Amino acid sequence: MPASPWLRPGAVRSLFQVWPLLIGLGLLALVRLSKGAVILDAYAQLSRPFWPGTAQAEWLRSARRMEDQVKLAQLETENQRLRGLLQLQTVNPTRLSAPVISRVPGGWWQQLLLGKGSLEGVKVGQAVLAPGGLIGLVSSVTPTTATVTLLTDPTSRVGVWVARNRHHALLSGLGTSRPVVRFLEKDPQVQPGDVVFTSPASTLVPPNLPVGVVQSIDERADPAPEAVVQLIAPVDAVDWVQILVPR
Amino acid sequence: MTLATRHPWLMLSMLVVPLLTLASPAWLRIAGVPPAWAPLWLLPWALVDGQRSGIVAGVCLGLLLDSLHPGPVSAIPALLLLGWWWGRIGHLGPPIERSLNLALLAMLGTLGLDLSLMAQWAWRSWSGLRGLEEATAARLALPGWHGSDLAAAGLQVLLSQLLLAAVLAPVLCSLLLLLLRRLQAASWRG
Repeated sequence: MPASPWLRPGAVRSLFQVWPLLIGLGLLALVRLSKGAVILDAYAQLSRPFWPGTAQAEWLRSARRMEDQVKLAQLETENQRLRGLLQLQTVNPTRLSAPVISRVPGGWWQQLLLGKGSLEGVKVGQAVLAPGGLIGLVSSVTPTTATVTLLTDPTSRVGVWVARNRHHALLSGLGTSRPVVRFLEKDPQVQPGDVVFTSPASTLVPPNLPVGVVQSIDERADPAPEAVVQLIAPVDAVDWVQILVPR
Repeated sequence: MTLATRHPWLMLSMLVVPLLTLASPAWLRIAGVPPAWAPLWLLPWALVDGQRSGIVAGVCLGLLLDSLHPGPVSAIPALLLLGWWWGRIGHLGPPIERSLNLALLAMLGTLGLDLSLMAQWAWRSWSGLRGLEEATAARLALPGWHGSDLAAAGLQVLLSQLLLAAVLAPVLCSLLLLLLRRLQAASWRG
């Protein structure tokens, strides 16, 4: 019976010749287990000369003022409701500005790569804001980079509510530029133009961060109505974002 | 496996794939979808260096690509099979030189890679939803690509990457194929 081509002496000799490849394969497995820390950090260092400059600073400040106005109105409404009823512990996270050094808003994984990582205190699960509101959550960190899973990614699920009528829902990415809000009630009484905020009941994100505006509603969706939401923050254009780092 | 054994440093060129994946410019995307760079590098490598080298390169590329995203699906199975298939074509069939053939093979590779990812997402969705038939809230909260997402946005990703592969492969794969064949011929002579 002829020997298998993989077991011939020649094949064994060639196996010895490829030991550098096997070592390389082992190293790549380590890279995979470390979630690409070496590659991402190397990319951050290589692309550092091309990182966005500070020219957007004034635009960011202006957008921030608009965002603050929207948030203020929402917070006043909620404050009136809660005043006298609850003694809430206030949590004021600091905002850490980070440059966007890689942007993949389409494809199988919709994510941003930021130029700040665990050395700056960034951790998995922290909320990431762009001018206008929430855009995603940190999904992994390396010493100098952080990967953000965008709200449009199908793996993204964030608790939200429509502040006008206090109906809670789940914001789900669909892989398109507009996520949907899936309500838990049969009759959420939502209408186009309603602003969606992060839910005060959510344990993943700080409450009442602006997220998006309801564009259209599908009342007949099963098992409950759902609404298409246009995100307020321009994910395709933003060069700097802010990470909410708890104090 | 001439290139992999005599010029192992050449395999370092695969590091271009994750770097291009991270840096792919907006003008090279269709509807925000970047090209699938892995088949564009793997195709000429496997055609020149054979099945075993193609398999090793496919696994290495898969490990690199999987490290760039949080998962849970993997590109390794598709790239391993593509490396084997293209290596077999390169060694058993007549030499592939025409740009049209390269574009067709790259498109088939991209199709295989994307269908493999879609199949993994579909399997995870099906197995996750199967146990949650009654729990509506839990079904809504189950993350990942589901059937309707795959049929809409998933199909758009697939078609965009096929088109980009058809555009890029004749240029990139031809140049890489030429370079690798020259290096292989030089190593045989030497």
